[in-house]
Amino acid sequence: MAIFKRIGGNRLRFRLSLEEVSLLHDLPEQLRELLGDERASQTGEGADPVTRRLFPPAYLEPADAEQDAEFHRLMRDDLLRTKLDQLELVSKTLARGNVSSRRWTVELSEEEAAAWLGVLNDVRLALGVRLGITEDFDVPVDLPGQPPELQLLAYLGWLQEHLVEALSA
Amino acid sequence: MASTAPTKERTEQPEDVAEPDVPWIVIVWNDPINLMSYVVFVFQKLFGYSKEKATKLMLDVHHKGKAVVSSGPRERAELDVYRLHSYGLWATMQKDR
Repeated sequence: MAIFKRIGGNRLRFRLSLEEVSLLHDLPEQLRELLGDERASQTGEGADPVTRRLFPPAYLEPADAEQDAEFHRLMRDDLLRTKLDQLELVSKTLARGNVSSRRWTVELSEEEAAAWLGVLNDVRLALGVRLGITEDFDVPVDLPGQPPELQLLAYLGWLQEHLVEALSA
Repeated sequence: MASTAPTKERTEQPEDVAEPDVPWIVIVWNDPINLMSYVVFVFQKLFGYSKEKATKLMLDVHHKGKAVVSSGPRERAELDVYRLHSYGLWATMQKDR
C-alpha cells in the first residue's frame, strides 16, 4: 500500500502503521529542542556540528568571511523560522491523524507535505552528523544489529524517498 | 558540466577594486545524507530545470563532489544559496574566476 498517495486537489494521503507513527512522534520535539539550543545560535567554526550543517556557510573563501557573517546575520533568523514553522505543521498533522484497522492516516496539503519533506531531511542531516557519516552509505532498513540511530536514519530516508516520489508524480 | 557560468570579458584592473560584473557561481557539494531523488527534486523545484538537467547536475555532485548549479550577480547567488540551505543542501558561492 502506498505510504503517500496523491488524492487530487493538491493533497496527499499519508498512511502508516501505528509502530511507525510512534517512532515519528517525538522527532519534531527533538529537532525543536536542537534548534532552540543555546549552541544553535552560534555560527562559524565554533558552532555545534549539527548547527553548522543545518545553517551552513554561504561563503567558503577566507577573503569572503565578512560577507559570510553578514549573510548569516541577515538570513539565519528566516531560516530558523522556516524550520520551526515546518516543525509546527508536522506536529499538527501527527496529532490530526485518524486510526482505523490499525492503520494511521492523515491528509496533507501541499504545504504540509513540503513541511514533512523539510523536517525529514533536517532530522536525517542531524542524525548523519551525530553518527559521523561522511561517506555515501546504503543501509538495509531491517538489518538487525545496526545502531538504532542508523536504522532510524535509513527508515526516514525510505519514508522521504516515497514522499519525493509522490510529490514528483 | 551542464551549467557553466557566462564568461565575461575582463578588463585589466587591480584586485582590490570592486568588480560588479564578475558573476558569482553557486556550488552544491556532495553530501552522504541527502537522497539523490531529493536533490533532483530540489533542483527542479528551485531552478525550474528539466528532470534531465537536474539529474545530470545531481550526478555531477555525486560523482565529482560538487557542481555549479547557478550563476549571476551576488544578490541573486545569495538568494539561491539561501533557498538551497532551506532545503538542506550544502551550497556555497564564490566569484567565478
